Amino acid sequence: MADEAPVTYVESELRRRRRLLLPAVIVLALLVLIGLIAIVLGLAAAKRTSINRPAVYSDIVSHFEHGSIGADQSSGVPFWVWQALPRLFPAEFDGRLDYRAFGFLYRNDAGGRQERLPIGISSRNVEGVDLVWFNCAVCHTGTYRTSEGAQRVMVPGMPSNNLNLYGFIRFILDAGVDERLKPDRLIPAMQQAGANLGPIERQIWRFVVIPRMREGFIERRSRLAPFLAEQQPWGPGRVDTFNPYKLVQMDMLLGAIAPEERHGASDFPSIFNQKPREGMQLHWDGNNSSLAERNLSAALGAGVTPETVDHAAIERVAAWLGDLHPPRSPHQVDPAAAERGRALYMNACASCHGFQAADRYVFEGANLGKVEPNSRLGTDPGRLDSYTEAFRQRQLTELFAGTPFQFRHFVKTDGYANMPLDGLWLRGPYLHNGSVPTLRDLLAPPAARPAAFVRGIDVIDGKNGGFRSPPCTPGTRPAQGICYDTTIPGNGNGGHLFGTTLPPAQKEDLIAYLLTF
Amino acid sequence: MSQDVIFTPLRFRNLTVKNRIFRSNISGKFDNEDGSLTQTRVNWECKFAAGGVGAIISSYVPVLMEGRIIAGYATIHRDDFIPLWERLGAAVHQYGCKYIMQLSHSGRQMDIPGVHNSHRPALSSTSRKESMHGFLCRAASKAEIDQLVAAFAAAAWRAREAGLDGIELHAANGYLFTQFLSSGINDRTDEYGGPLQNRARFLLEVIRAIRARVGRDFHLQVKLSAVDRNNVIPWEKKGNVLADTIQVARWCESEGVDALHVSTGSLFPHPLNPPGDFSFETIATTYDAMISSGVDTFRNFLLFRYRALRPIFRWIWFRMKKGLPVEGVSLEEARAIRASVSVPVLNTGGYQTASFIRAGIESGAFDGVAIARSLVANNDLVRQWAMGRDLPERPCTYCNKCLLNAPKNPMGCYELARFPSREAMVDELMTIYATRPTLNMPPVSAPQVVQAA
Repeated sequence: MADEAPVTYVESELRRRRRLLLPAVIVLALLVLIGLIAIVLGLAAAKRTSINRPAVYSDIVSHFEHGSIGADQSSGVPFWVWQALPRLFPAEFDGRLDYRAFGFLYRNDAGGRQERLPIGISSRNVEGVDLVWFNCAVCHTGTYRTSEGAQRVMVPGMPSNNLNLYGFIRFILDAGVDERLKPDRLIPAMQQAGANLGPIERQIWRFVVIPRMREGFIERRSRLAPFLAEQQPWGPGRVDTFNPYKLVQMDMLLGAIAPEERHGASDFPSIFNQKPREGMQLHWDGNNSSLAERNLSAALGAGVTPETVDHAAIERVAAWLGDLHPPRSPHQVDPAAAERGRALYMNACASCHGFQAADRYVFEGANLGKVEPNSRLGTDPGRLDSYTEAFRQRQLTELFAGTPFQFRHFVKTDGYANMPLDGLWLRGPYLHNGSVPTLRDLLAPPAARPAAFVRGIDVIDGKNGGFRSPPCTPGTRPAQGICYDTTIPGNGNGGHLFGTTLPPAQKEDLIAYLLTF
Repeated sequence: MSQDVIFTPLRFRNLTVKNRIFRSNISGKFDNEDGSLTQTRVNWECKFAAGGVGAIISSYVPVLMEGRIIAGYATIHRDDFIPLWERLGAAVHQYGCKYIMQLSHSGRQMDIPGVHNSHRPALSSTSRKESMHGFLCRAASKAEIDQLVAAFAAAAWRAREAGLDGIELHAANGYLFTQFLSSGINDRTDEYGGPLQNRARFLLEVIRAIRARVGRDFHLQVKLSAVDRNNVIPWEKKGNVLADTIQVARWCESEGVDALHVSTGSLFPHPLNPPGDFSFETIATTYDAMISSGVDTFRNFLLFRYRALRPIFRWIWFRMKKGLPVEGVSLEEARAIRASVSVPVLNTGGYQTASFIRAGIESGAFDGVAIARSLVANNDLVRQWAMGRDLPERPCTYCNKCLLNAPKNPMGCYELARFPSREAMVDELMTIYATRPTLNMPPVSAPQVVQAA
């Protein structure tokens, strides 16, 4: 239809003006439109960036196993990346699509299917992205089997005897610089794993989430990798608590860590019965007598920062752990022998370690929870030396400074603390560094203790205590677990000579009693 | 008893009017679209003639169709309209009232262009749009000015042929003559622009041409705005001052003008003309008739309609009135002009009080007054004065609702407060449409015998 001519001169003038103004109006309209889009996007971004929502669990065991303590926010990887990694790195994951290759444990859901996240991995939606990372349970949930063919039993609170934390961290750090984490490969793998990303979401991942994640990986790698490369693999069930802490939390460089400090790898502790431990010298070296501070410090190790730490979540776990009893020992022992052993124990051991009564562990003993100078104990000094006075000073002044959570109770000790032995049957191998496979070996003189043994088998040893730990040849890889070499610095199996000189019969009695712990 | 000066005849060179009261130029859209006048206009004018005014100055009468201000007003652009005007003149004369035709050209101040003019810009001295409504215009060429001059002369001749008593050139209130005269509007660089002499050239050429056409013995008066106050829209230039107008008045006199009619303001309406109130509620309902007439009209409509915006226009409109009276708003300017010329001077601007007018005449401010609104309110105002009242019983309130209704509704008084009911007001408005007028009001005699003209 032809454009109708204006009827009046005013109308033609107005039309002429409109035509003259049209470019300006279009520009203005575009500007307004752009402004509106910017506002909408800004609001959407603001809404998204304000999201910080952990997954919440009413059940305390689920909270312990999957509840967020804030580490996911500061150290986490996006859930879909977590799910995609096994597809991108099949060799490292033994070809499986889960994380069992690193010793992570999975529960089955009500339908009998393996849950998507392993125990000890929490999830929190931060800025619209579900991030996953460690919580307390990653290091404090283990398994046992009564025999090779028996059902594997998971025990919350027991040391994570399967977890190869060193291997996992090394893998994550290497993945950060691996080209397989480029968006072009990572995004398809995420989608394969089930991520349903819209076109906008995909661009956000490509240009924001993944680059940010990789940057974080690379930064952590630059701090940790040189140190980890120097260390021997810790092996399953072990962690070097304070050295990564120095590198990551304190921004220290490797060169600032003295050579004798660098061998801090020790066993994950059990965390049963926390309430009776209040006031004891906690940690292997007894450097802190406050449960709350010890918990917070451990959370830092799991990856929280003073900014992201979720105190309430941690306190909820701590309250539950206060009365968490270990399962009763399943070992069948000769009651008479055990009774004889008990007499021996009460006489020689109980003042330092407390004792097992018929139904519960008794936290009594003049020296229970007190530090024994290592000059007397003579166990491997690696862990003790990894915690230094200089580090303590920085802990006290730099972490949570000015908040009610500021560290006050850390001390530098000269030995290792006398530990309560509750749940002892789940706590092998023994000594702080897990250098002695069984109770029987611990009662042997150091020279007679195994120089190399397999760690990582979760079949309990009803005869010797601890787990089955066949001898092995250092440098070889056994069928299961790793070969623990006591000659490596930090792995020494010397010291704690108590009971090593007992006659064999008395040792048998004592072992019988200890198997009831 | 001494003679009331209001009721003494006013003798012009070529015309004598029985008293000093002139119905000033006002009417409504009473007529046909082709410019031929109707019985309605006859009825309208006779109301005032019957009411006792000495003379009626017609509402502006365009000399060309392209000079209409509001379509629907009678014109004098065709010879065949002469008999119509003749009839009107005769009807008014029955009452002993004189009839002076106001010859006019809108220039750019064309409120409702109508079917004849809507397709083109109006002729003016300038091509700049009109400041209040954004009426569009085009500067007339020399040839077009010559045609305009001739059109005025021809129109004057028609008025004389129709037996009317005189003519007035509407050189006030923003119409074409003002557009040439005003230094605030005229931006020409030829002999019709620049100094006052050039700006007055068009008016003086028209006077000369009229005199050449109708002779020296036909009453010719000129209505001038004493002061332009062209800056109603604040960024406009102020325009002519009193001294300019006095000079123009002298030139008019020397070109043979018989009288001057002093008004004010270079726009119509103007805050000072007609002086008084401004009814937003009224104009909000009538201004829509003008929206298509200009490029700024819709803006104004919004300013009028929405209460939140009204303070803007209220400030624009009322800031000029401060300190000035309504009645006799330009009295002092009239006095100054009268002192500078020897022809009689009329003044307009809110006159309604007999004693005030009397004092004005006696003090030499003017020789007579032209009244529109007060007469619309009380057609028999003069008779009321004659009977001794100083102010009518229900005086004009200067609400200006008559003015603001003009673009849309019949002319008349819209001040509801002056009527017993709305029906009474409408009935009064409708009286002008009588097809067989029974205007029973007897011709009014002044207290003394009216001399034959």
